[in-house]
Amino acid sequence: MRYYKFGNPAGRFIGSSGGIDVYPASIVRNPVEGQKSQIAAAQPGEFYFGYGPSTGGMIESVGIDFLTPGEFITDVSVNPKYKMRMINVREKSIGDTMLSIERINAFHCASHSIAFASAVEDALEVDIPEGVMYARIVALELERIRSNLLVIERMCQPAGFGVPGNQLALLREEISRLISAATGHRYFLGSVSAGGISINLSRVSKVTQNIASQFRKLYDSLLESKIFMNRLINNGKISTESLLGPAARASGHANDARLDSQTLDYSGLGFSPILRTGSDSFARMQVRSEEIIQSVDIIEKALELASSSIASLGNHVDGEGAGRIESPQGDVFYYVRLENSMLADVVMVSPSLSNIDAFVRSMKGNIFTDFHFNWESFGIWISEAGVELE
Amino acid sequence: MSNLWFFNGLRKGVRTERFPKAPAEAPPQWPSRLSGSGDAVCPVGAIENGVWDMDKCIFCRRCLTTYEPTGEQDIFTIDSRVSLFHRSLYLYPLDSGSCGGCNIELLNIFTPYYDANRLRIFITNTPRHADAIVIMGVYTKGMEEPLRLAYEAMAEPKLVIALGACAISGGIVGKPAIDAEKYNVKIAGCPPSPYTILQALDSVRGD
Repeated sequence: MRYYKFGNPAGRFIGSSGGIDVYPASIVRNPVEGQKSQIAAAQPGEFYFGYGPSTGGMIESVGIDFLTPGEFITDVSVNPKYKMRMINVREKSIGDTMLSIERINAFHCASHSIAFASAVEDALEVDIPEGVMYARIVALELERIRSNLLVIERMCQPAGFGVPGNQLALLREEISRLISAATGHRYFLGSVSAGGISINLSRVSKVTQNIASQFRKLYDSLLESKIFMNRLINNGKISTESLLGPAARASGHANDARLDSQTLDYSGLGFSPILRTGSDSFARMQVRSEEIIQSVDIIEKALELASSSIASLGNHVDGEGAGRIESPQGDVFYYVRLENSMLADVVMVSPSLSNIDAFVRSMKGNIFTDFHFNWESFGIWISEAGVELE
Repeated sequence: MSNLWFFNGLRKGVRTERFPKAPAEAPPQWPSRLSGSGDAVCPVGAIENGVWDMDKCIFCRRCLTTYEPTGEQDIFTIDSRVSLFHRSLYLYPLDSGSCGGCNIELLNIFTPYYDANRLRIFITNTPRHADAIVIMGVYTKGMEEPLRLAYEAMAEPKLVIALGACAISGGIVGKPAIDAEKYNVKIAGCPPSPYTILQALDSVRGD
């Protein structure tokens, strides 16, 4: 394991899962139990309002309980475990395990599969070709563009903004079709492997430049919509060091795995994170919007150096390694231990669990109308929060 | 400002495809109908005795080059149609334990390129108003009761639709949410493409 060590916490807390706590350069066993979402006791005049697990307006099954006197949200709890999946990944080959990893969260398959592949390459002490590294950056940024488009599209829906919502959906579909043409699959399934990536980069520049141009006009128009801005500004304010991904960067914290990545050379492409200080739903939307345009610039630079190939996994059969990727929601981390080229242990840490905690804390004191805007601004995926690898 | 959005919408023009009356403009290769014969390595047993079973297939490409994708999107089976739903079809989506892929592709059929509303296909937020329940994902204990309650809340006649390999066979990550024989419609894919979903839903309503 070249980039991480077991030991004392170093730097900011990234998340915990499966008996470990993760920090940017270290993994700690015997973790301190994270805060569990528990709703407060009702006071006279307050009542509990249950939303979910299966309900309209949500993409996935999730149980949300509100404590309210009728309008203000006194307290809220989120239960992502209704659809808890137990996925068997141990004592399987690297390739077979990859099939399951891809299906933890298909919408962010590139992030999960590249983080897992990086962990395996670390364990086997394999150095991937430079062209593969830049091709993976292209894949991750394409995924970020699509994911951020979905978040903003979903934020338009509760405002009744049909025209911008549909135009954002059009751009998102164009990215999906580009990914399909480049990899054969609309969600990158089957395109990333330990040691490589299979992707045809020929149309990427033309399509992404067009999307950046169209999105910039849409974004400018949204910023002029007072009705929309009123729903976002001061909605779900939160600013703590423990935030991840766009939520952190919307609070002025430069938390971004692309800055300190040991395996993907983002800094060589001149990357620096986009920061805002509003700490609210509007700031999270600003960060995601500007990251769409930034991702197109990153892709343009990475394309000059990218190539599609697969490196040999070498002669090692045992080892332990870790991989960390900045997914569209924040840090995705994988730890693997290999014995005879089979997976003896796999641990995944997703940003969605941390973001659920941040959402809960940000929602208190808001009103019901704020809920959907604020929820969508965090971009939480229950499929990666409610999963256990066994 | 409302005028601006109005003109924005007009300027874009009609972007909706004519599918399923016309061929799909951008059909994905994976998933699509596979063409080939003979045995091949398959992690989910979708190829046995030289026969490809689209319901089990997770379209992982392990069987390339014995089997090749055709781009054809008609990878669904309909066991029973309900002509009562010819004028409109209201769907209640239920995520029993999915990776989110099927959820997004189902939402995508209501976006401009596909626009399921033009075919009088709609989403409803309550099973009381639903003609069909669309089950996505594998079996999970926590969603067993919500699935049963949603099914019982639907009025007769009703359809049960399995969306994706996980719901039909369990795919590669679990077991199916309900027994395969209880489904009226099985839409294959991992996840199924919007074209496949749209064509299956358009076909299920009978004459």
